[in-house]
Amino acid sequence: MVNFKALLKKSTLVGAAAALTMSLAACSGKTSGNAASSDSPVNIIVTNGKGEIDAQFKQAAKDFMKANPNIHVDVKSIAVGDTLNMYDKLTASGKTVTIAMFDPYSALHKYKEVGMDLSNEKWNAETTYALKDANGKVIGFPFAVEGMGLVYNQKVVEKATGGKFDPFSINTQDKLKALLDKIKASGVQYPVSYQTEAWSVGNHYSSLFLDQDSDPNVILDKLKAGKMDLTKNAVWNGYYDTLNLLTSKTYNKYGDRPLGQYYDAAHVAVGKGDSAILFNGDWAFDSLKAVAGDNFGFMPVPVDNNPDNPLNNKIAVGPTQVLVINKKATKSQQDAAKKFLNWLVYDQAGQDFIVNKAQIISAFKNNPNKVTNPLGVAISNAIAQNKTMPFSTNYINTSDWSTIIGPEVQKYIGKQESRKDLAKALESYYKSHQE
Amino acid sequence: MTAKKIVASTFVYLIAFIALACFIFPFILLMINSFKSNGEIITNPFSLPSHWDFAHFSDVIAKMNFLVTFKNSVLITLISTLLIVFFSAMAAYHMVRKPTKYNKIFFTILVASMVIPFQSLMIPLIYIYGAKLQLIDLIPIPLLICFYIGFGSALSIFMFHGFMKSIPLEVEEAARIDGCNTLQTFFLIVFPMLKPITVTIAILNVLWIWNDYLLPSLVLNNETVYTMPVQMKVFNGTYMNNWELLIPAILLTVLPILIMYMIGQKSIINGVMQGSIK
Amino acid sequence: MLAKKIDEVRYHTEISQKVIRRKRNLTSLGNSMLFLGPSTIFFAITVVIPFIYGIYLTLNKMDSPTDAMVFSGLLNYVNAVKDAEFWSSLWLTIKFVVATVFFVNLVGFGLAYLVTSGMKIQNSLRTAYFTPNLIGGLVLGYIWQFVFVQSLPALGDKLGISWLKLGWLGDPHMAFWALVIVTIWQTSGYMMIIFIAGLISIPKDLIEAAKIDGAGAFRRLINITLPLMVPSFVVTIFLSLKNAFMVYDLNFSLTKGGPFNSTLMVSMHVVNKAFVEANYGTGQAEAIILFLIVAIVTGIQVYSSKKMEVEA
Repeated sequence: MVNFKALLKKSTLVGAAAALTMSLAACSGKTSGNAASSDSPVNIIVTNGKGEIDAQFKQAAKDFMKANPNIHVDVKSIAVGDTLNMYDKLTASGKTVTIAMFDPYSALHKYKEVGMDLSNEKWNAETTYALKDANGKVIGFPFAVEGMGLVYNQKVVEKATGGKFDPFSINTQDKLKALLDKIKASGVQYPVSYQTEAWSVGNHYSSLFLDQDSDPNVILDKLKAGKMDLTKNAVWNGYYDTLNLLTSKTYNKYGDRPLGQYYDAAHVAVGKGDSAILFNGDWAFDSLKAVAGDNFGFMPVPVDNNPDNPLNNKIAVGPTQVLVINKKATKSQQDAAKKFLNWLVYDQAGQDFIVNKAQIISAFKNNPNKVTNPLGVAISNAIAQNKTMPFSTNYINTSDWSTIIGPEVQKYIGKQESRKDLAKALESYYKSHQE
Repeated sequence: MTAKKIVASTFVYLIAFIALACFIFPFILLMINSFKSNGEIITNPFSLPSHWDFAHFSDVIAKMNFLVTFKNSVLITLISTLLIVFFSAMAAYHMVRKPTKYNKIFFTILVASMVIPFQSLMIPLIYIYGAKLQLIDLIPIPLLICFYIGFGSALSIFMFHGFMKSIPLEVEEAARIDGCNTLQTFFLIVFPMLKPITVTIAILNVLWIWNDYLLPSLVLNNETVYTMPVQMKVFNGTYMNNWELLIPAILLTVLPILIMYMIGQKSIINGVMQGSIK
Repeated sequence: MLAKKIDEVRYHTEISQKVIRRKRNLTSLGNSMLFLGPSTIFFAITVVIPFIYGIYLTLNKMDSPTDAMVFSGLLNYVNAVKDAEFWSSLWLTIKFVVATVFFVNLVGFGLAYLVTSGMKIQNSLRTAYFTPNLIGGLVLGYIWQFVFVQSLPALGDKLGISWLKLGWLGDPHMAFWALVIVTIWQTSGYMMIIFIAGLISIPKDLIEAAKIDGAGAFRRLINITLPLMVPSFVVTIFLSLKNAFMVYDLNFSLTKGGPFNSTLMVSMHVVNKAFVEANYGTGQAEAIILFLIVAIVTGIQVYSSKKMEVEA
């Protein structure tokens, strides 16, 4: 018995000593961690914000590493729904993320100290979507171009219109209403399936009014200065008139109880042809394709009855994810990162990864590949025909909007508050959030 | 059986079955949907599959690096649970038998610690053990086990503490008179008498650790050391979940625990037999 | 001469007594370290040290967790107290706590009683009632979304019951009760297990004696079973209190706090503040305040009910 106790005591002491020595050794051994000599490989960490392309991204990294054997690329994709995002988690545990994928707003605000100046990179000549900071310096490499609007099921709509349908022919509110009536008449009881998730009605739909100026920042500055009376703004009101139409009991599948978690159900309905139209972006195809392989397209969201109003004839398109290179990374890591970005733009395997494998619309003119998913094709066509306006969501604080503004819009849709209250909520948000 | 007894027992069985239906139907839902494709799952969650497609299971096993991930989960869960149970039983025994002021204060601190919101500890944990001590990189799995013991001790001690009082003091005094010291008294006499509660606590810990996502997601940064819940996350998409893979993954994660629970149950019942011989 | 001898003996006895006492004290100190040591060490490493550091963090102004630290004293706490949504979500959570704690313990105890009463199929029932707990937080929410968003309305359509048709998750009151129902469903099985352990630890001879004395089932329940079950209730009430106050996973995956933030519980508010709204300092401070409040509530509960525990 005495032996047992002594043994236990001894092993606890030994264990404690071992832990201490290990930690000391670890501390001292880390000085040379990131600096690399010309012989040893450079390690860079890339955070990927699009969880659904994790496999393709990792494969792309492997292809890049084959061509560049002295660079090691470690791709870490975010886990959807994590409280602590991947970049914060890695940085807080002491690692340096060399290439970080951010949305444009975060890259310019929450993480504005992170990105280094990329204005002199060659690929700037191939794109108009590069992200510039307040001083005009390029700090974001446009990774993915996406668009949003009224997604429609082509088969259902053409059955109602009786022939080939040009989405851009619906460029007034009246024409939209007429279309909805036609679809109803063709046997589809509810032409619209409107999902009211906070991020959709808030971040996406409710930011569209910012496009009334070709530079949405102009509108934002007016709001922040308190110089904008939304209730008197025709565009702002116009979008909510259209929203009323879309969520009404006559046309909306969920019109009786418009608020709820309808994302999946709405996409099933439109995908199968039980309904015709919903509001979302081209990423909706992931949900639609699970149900049916029908053809889909985008219509612009009309804001008034003037067919010449550019807002009625354009779809919101822009870079939704940008890559920044960390100022705090070592020079060799930054050079390796720049090589990777160039590989994405100029190397055939890189171009293939972005468009063909990840089905992302490339922001770069020189990419010869074309996406095949119908919604991506629709956006590409809109870009080619010059019928696009800025992606308004890129100009707002998406986290704030989904937790503060989104719920207000939901209240408005659920008839729990008036449009005046909604306007006041938005105005007071911008007065108190000057960032 | 009298009429009254028949009515009473039918009533009891009825309640039992209604409860059964309520409790088990989501599980059944998971099972029938694990054989369907995404489209079928979303459109008809309640129908039987049109054809029973086992391909999803093999898909999941491949995509999740199943053998390695499973091994990680088993390793971490077993070692953590064993150590938690042993250390907590010992600590609770000491605190019950020697209710000094210090022990009471320590017990209060333990109970209070269970209420600390985990979010307030996330950043400190990865800062101290990641950025400062580099242990997250060097020894992720042993570090995770240490964390589980640290987090799990409070509840286990709390539960042992309550049930320890049901061990009659006379039995211990008899052992003392026979010449046992404290250690012997504990391991040879008291611990075996706690079997039902020990198995219960073990089951609860296994359950928590096996299904835990938050702690491993912070500490395990390398795919080769992921546990099942962390690995499963790849099936969660930004806008839509990949149900046809997520659901089989959930079932594969849940099945081992179900089996363990059924086995563990038997030993609780055997413990009852032993207890009644007492 | 004899007196000197007696003094010597007394002196030696005193010394040997002191030695024995010191040895006993050392042994008891050794025992303390042995029995308490491991748990204490791990607890200190994992909880105490990070928590102290966490409190230190609340004294700094930080927007995101990776920001540099700027000492700001009690500013975060002032902001936390001024945050109206923190207090309103806390009030909502209290309502949630009251609803769930009562029902979870009722259902859990009822189930445990059922499966230890000697029914023939009680073993399989025991497993069945436990299965909800096997399914982890976020997935649980998704499954119940199916139920509330699609199946209940479909059922309502078929049977013509109008209030079933309403999307439960679109109405603030129904969404609240949806959360309560799912919580009861998920955690009753967990409490059931604890109750089972307590029920089967009741010495059979006590029950036999009561039966011989002519006590009916109800009498036995009130006078023998429930008093001896107090340790179990201490644990389950504590756990259900804590779980209800800190609910997050289910809140996030079932309602996301909606519709329009009407089911935003305090834990979700704190997480949003710290990590989504990029106001990490204030969020941390709110977490600490929440901890203090819940610690006081549960402390009172445990302390007062420990007094009721009966020694065998």
